[in-house]
Amino acid sequence: MSDREFAGKTAIVGIGSTDFAQLYRSTDPERTGESLATEAIAAAIADAGLEKSQIDGLITGGLPHYEPVAYRTGLTDVRFVVDYPGAGRMCAMALMHAATAVHHGLADYVVLFNSVVFRSQGVKFGAQGQGLLYDTIYGMASPGAQYSLAFTRYQAEYGGTEEQLGAIPVAIRSHARMTPGAIMQQEMAIDDYLAARYIAQPLRLFDYCLINDGAVAYVVTTAERARDLAHPPVLIAGTAGRANFREWYVDLGFWDEACRSMKADLFDPLGVTTDDIDCLQVYDNFSVSVLWGLEGFGFAPQGQGLEWVQNGRIALGGELPINTSGGMLSESYLQGWNQHAEAVRQLRGQAGERQVPDCDWSLYWCLSALPGASLLCRDGLL
Amino acid sequence: MSGEAGYAKPLPTVTHEDREFWAAARQHRFVLPECRACGHVWFPPYASCPACLSFDRGWTEASGRGTVWGFTIMRQPYIPSFEPELPYNVVLVELEEGPMVYSNLVSIDNDDIACGLAVEAVFEDVTDKITLIKFRPS
Ligand SMILES: [Zn+2]
Repeated sequence: MSDREFAGKTAIVGIGSTDFAQLYRSTDPERTGESLATEAIAAAIADAGLEKSQIDGLITGGLPHYEPVAYRTGLTDVRFVVDYPGAGRMCAMALMHAATAVHHGLADYVVLFNSVVFRSQGVKFGAQGQGLLYDTIYGMASPGAQYSLAFTRYQAEYGGTEEQLGAIPVAIRSHARMTPGAIMQQEMAIDDYLAARYIAQPLRLFDYCLINDGAVAYVVTTAERARDLAHPPVLIAGTAGRANFREWYVDLGFWDEACRSMKADLFDPLGVTTDDIDCLQVYDNFSVSVLWGLEGFGFAPQGQGLEWVQNGRIALGGELPINTSGGMLSESYLQGWNQHAEAVRQLRGQAGERQVPDCDWSLYWCLSALPGASLLCRDGLL
Repeated sequence: MSGEAGYAKPLPTVTHEDREFWAAARQHRFVLPECRACGHVWFPPYASCPACLSFDRGWTEASGRGTVWGFTIMRQPYIPSFEPELPYNVVLVELEEGPMVYSNLVSIDNDDIACGLAVEAVFEDVTDKITLIKFRPS
């Protein structure tokens, strides 16, 4: 939803996260998604400066069932409840749902969250294939292998080297090193990236996102209510989705059509252009997702994204910083949710040494089977 | 490993939707579902036509020819039974008839695999019931 009337009428007013690095260091077989969600929800409500009793909408994500977390948080009498499956691609969809709910008065203050216990439960993505196209019979396992397969095609069409691709994880790692709670704090140069083992060649270990535990929660309300709360409101300028369901997962055009469609939905009604975007907080499940989104949204010319990301352009201090808290490659695999939390910090001007100067607009995308995108901005711009 | 009784890798769970596909493969024939209502050809073999939603499904003989759209070389043992073959290739083949299929390329070194490579189907009897369709350079 991205029409002019809706743009900027809703806002993210509270964010809450667990300490990803601490959870990563100390795995716990008894850790539950409900307790992580409770921690994040409490932090988000406190951040918004609200009373828990004011929350009347709940969107759950990543848990086996929506009810247990309601008991643990006392959010037992809310007016609006939706449960999303624990899939990363659902982040923009959940935000879209929360925004439309408060905009239309289905609830006044919606809490939404994603909570995952991957590392403590030994979850391995790809131990089984998706099973949609006889994958495992041929040994095709893991989303990473599917993105890797698409990258061989991309290289055949446009060229580009693995070393060039490494600029993406290297820049994002440099941001994690400035982020309290980010998991990957070790310095990583391009040689370190290239020295790491292949997982599904040509993708290497550091092209892959982390697998960890944690939760992130937001509070969403109308912009009008937001202006009375603790922090400067971060407006939801728009959200967009464009499914790309393929049995083989990846898009044969590197998500170009999905990106163009979402960009048109988000940018055109507002007259926003790529030049307006101050930072990207995007779904870096794999380094190549960043590359293809840069081309699809028109930041980089088609087929030239690998050259485009070189020489610090996407690092803090560069022309277009990407994933300024370390994204999913280096901060935390909270599936798009930590990216939106960082966008809120940047747009509030609360990102500390990571602060992007004069940060007015932040864009999110997720290129998966169910691409989604969102555009957030500071108050006063819409 | 053709015909080995101890085939350890994953096998298809044959269902009402794809029984005829696997039965044909067993006879070393590559068939694709074809809609009797609108002529659409699709894969995998859903019981109904994704184009017009008709359940009037027939079968057409595929040429077995296609090109490699993309490939990856698996380096990590996600599936334990594939571990002895690491590194092995997985390819996404664009069939002449349109559908995309995952498979493995045989009779080629992994280093020689390239996107756009022309390939043809070969049949590998992996158990006494299941025959897998793989590809080789044509
Ligand atoms: Zn049909």
